[in-house]
Amino acid sequence: MFDFLIFSLTIAGIYAIMALGLNLQAGYAGLLNFGHIAFAGIGAYATGILTAAGYPALVGACVGVLVAVVLGWCIARLGRQLGADYWGIATLAIAEILRTVATNEDWLTGGAQGISAIAFPLGNLPRPWGALGFLALVLALLWVLALASQRLGDGRFGRALRLMREEPKLAACMGYDLRALKSRAIMAGAATTAIAGSLYAHYMSFVGPDYMLASETFMLWTMLMIGGMGNTVGVITGVLLVQAAYCLVPFAKDSLHFGSDIAGALRIGLIGLILLLSLLWRSQGLIPEKLRKIQ
Amino acid sequence: MTSLPLSTPTPALLEVSSLAKAFGGNRVLQDVSFSIGAGEIVGLLGPNGSGKSTLLNTISGFEAIDSGSVRYRQQEIGRLSAHRIVARGVARTFQLPSMPEKMSVIELAMAAATSHHGFWETLAARSGVRAAEAAAREKATRLLHELLLTHVRDLPAAALSGGQKKLLGIVCALMGDPQLLMLDEPTAGVHPNLRNDIVQALRRLNAQGMTIVIVEHDMHFIREVCSRCIVLDRGHIVASCAPQELSSNERVLQAYLGGGAQEQGNAMEAAQ
Amino acid sequence: MFQFLIDTLVRTSDLALVALGLSLVYGLVKFPNIAHVQYAMLGAYLSYFFQAAGVPMALAILLSCCAVGALTLVLHLLVFRRLLRSGPAITMIGSLALAMLMVAFTLGLFGSFPLMFKLPLTAPLQIGEVRIGHTQLYALATTVLLLVLFSALLFYTSTGRAMRALSCNRALAAASGLNAENITRLVNFSSGALAALGGSMLAMTSGAHVNLGYDMLLPVFAAAILGGLGNPLGAVAGAFLIALTETVVTNLNFGWLLGKPVAFLPVAYISAASFLILLLALLFKPYGLFDREVRRV
Repeated sequence: MFDFLIFSLTIAGIYAIMALGLNLQAGYAGLLNFGHIAFAGIGAYATGILTAAGYPALVGACVGVLVAVVLGWCIARLGRQLGADYWGIATLAIAEILRTVATNEDWLTGGAQGISAIAFPLGNLPRPWGALGFLALVLALLWVLALASQRLGDGRFGRALRLMREEPKLAACMGYDLRALKSRAIMAGAATTAIAGSLYAHYMSFVGPDYMLASETFMLWTMLMIGGMGNTVGVITGVLLVQAAYCLVPFAKDSLHFGSDIAGALRIGLIGLILLLSLLWRSQGLIPEKLRKIQ
Repeated sequence: MTSLPLSTPTPALLEVSSLAKAFGGNRVLQDVSFSIGAGEIVGLLGPNGSGKSTLLNTISGFEAIDSGSVRYRQQEIGRLSAHRIVARGVARTFQLPSMPEKMSVIELAMAAATSHHGFWETLAARSGVRAAEAAAREKATRLLHELLLTHVRDLPAAALSGGQKKLLGIVCALMGDPQLLMLDEPTAGVHPNLRNDIVQALRRLNAQGMTIVIVEHDMHFIREVCSRCIVLDRGHIVASCAPQELSSNERVLQAYLGGGAQEQGNAMEAAQ
Repeated sequence: MFQFLIDTLVRTSDLALVALGLSLVYGLVKFPNIAHVQYAMLGAYLSYFFQAAGVPMALAILLSCCAVGALTLVLHLLVFRRLLRSGPAITMIGSLALAMLMVAFTLGLFGSFPLMFKLPLTAPLQIGEVRIGHTQLYALATTVLLLVLFSALLFYTSTGRAMRALSCNRALAAASGLNAENITRLVNFSSGALAALGGSMLAMTSGAHVNLGYDMLLPVFAAAILGGLGNPLGAVAGAFLIALTETVVTNLNFGWLLGKPVAFLPVAYISAASFLILLLALLFKPYGLFDREVRRV
């Protein structure tokens, strides 16, 4: 039970970091990135490939961040006239292409089997201190990134993003370079999420192409929409809620004795239902973005 | 071919030559040429469909031009994108301003203080950033006060009335300290009292050296504020004269009224 | 050579009806409906369900199409119309939620194992040097028939004209007396029914499985976008192009490039091919190859 709790909290923390990365793009800037999980996948794979080749964990994480940022820059430049929802489909397509490549290029990514036996950074410590230590690391990183995200959102940069989100023409006639703004938001989100991906790979000791399934991005979106886009507290609330729902399912499965298909169905269905209801009744999320007070 | 003599005593701030713009087969602007001197307040008039808004959009970079050139301070800006043109000191407002819901009036005005997004500065939050924010806030407060928007300072920008939104648009344009200000129907839908304040504000700005181009329908406003008028009709410039001469100008009357120009012109004069 | 053509045509018929439905309804609602491909999945499962209950195959498919068409209509009235008030982006996310619900429902009810229809086991037909399965031939023939009927409807009847008018300019069409609501309902019903038909026919070959919808999401969108959203017949042309590319990609011997006698792209890259085309379409021709569609992308 205790182990399960630590596990759930750690996973929740990692997802929260990914959700923060998505919030920078979707919440602040209004960008419908449906391929967001690709950034996490890149972080995870960079960690897997480089640590398997003998490089220290930090190198893996940094390379992951770098590659993710480059990808972010590329997708920001995609299609100048593309409407928001169609850009979303394009990002989905890119993530799927990357996932297909990861599944097939055995020599690099281990193909469908992925890369295993990734070193757990605090593996030498006796149980449960290793797991607790990692949890502390994740929470510390989450705290730092949440603060950074809050600062960005409340300051000049966030203001520019929010203006671009709501009134792009107005932003342009104030002189803002919308393309540069978009790039910057996506790159920042990419970097954050790649870090989370790297953490995930270390925690699970494994990375595989299923990490980049579109359903993972959809889950992150659900977390964002339920909790409230555009504000840090809302994001974390959403993550906790969805993780709670996800964790309930294995318990229900054991106590009510139903099969894994139904368990899977319950997970997807619960998320879909909550998402739909929140869109219909509280489309701003549980903790909506409020006007920022200026003295 | 309608390039009329345009009196610009000082070197032109803005020179438009043979500007053409078509939407599909519809030639909205044809061979438009004129220049604006520094310190002028010029009215841009014309009946509906004459191309006034399109002209404004092409000069400010919101629409691409098909052919011709636009030179600002002797530099070609015709092919630049909107934000680069703004960076050079050309600001504009919109006829039907749409304002954000999630930003307050003061926050929006502060956003207009700069065109650089300041990602690293915001992240680092050094004292320089705090000083810049304070300066932006003060400037925004001052401009909001000048345009009588102080009492709505903390409201969501989208909650303002149409007239107030127009004023806010002017505030945002002014935050960037432009040298050329282009206004798209600034008084349409604005309360008459407010209208006078706009007139005063524009005169003040002009006295401080700002060049202003105003697209307008309101003749009284034009007479009170503008030193010169350029009249468009169906994509061509048909006149460039002082406001008082408008009602006696054949081509202007033809543009607005169609046939029987002179009698209607006399009637117009009498009515005013 | 002909086998190549047949393979392409069969793959086209897999996608054509679903893509047509998507493009058709996009003209009216102007948002990308991610749940649309799940109608195909639902149709496949319902056809299986009816057939397993003893209904003959063709009737089972018909019933399934009607049921799914009705569901599409209901969802439009209850969910999408409401979400559209908040804009196309929110509606697209809503369609995502609905898609998840549909998959969950099917997964819970029918399980994750593909369900095969009870069809007589026959050897593939051999016409000359070309082989084609019976079910594939039926699917192809039905698709062609439906396309002909649909084109006739669209271009030679007043309903079809009304549909085209509405998708070009809704406000104007409604103002000129067209019953916009009724046409919208008809279009919604038809698009769902067409998707169900496409899914059912696909399932005749590969069985009904929960990923049936999701697997065709990107190819169907690619086809619809290539053809120009709102241009239903363009979507069919787009489907043909996607099918052609997929067939070429997997049949082309790249050996000469790599100095080997035989080198083919792995089968998994078929999907990557259609994703790539979707990307290129969105980047360079977001209004479709024929550029006659409703502008909003």
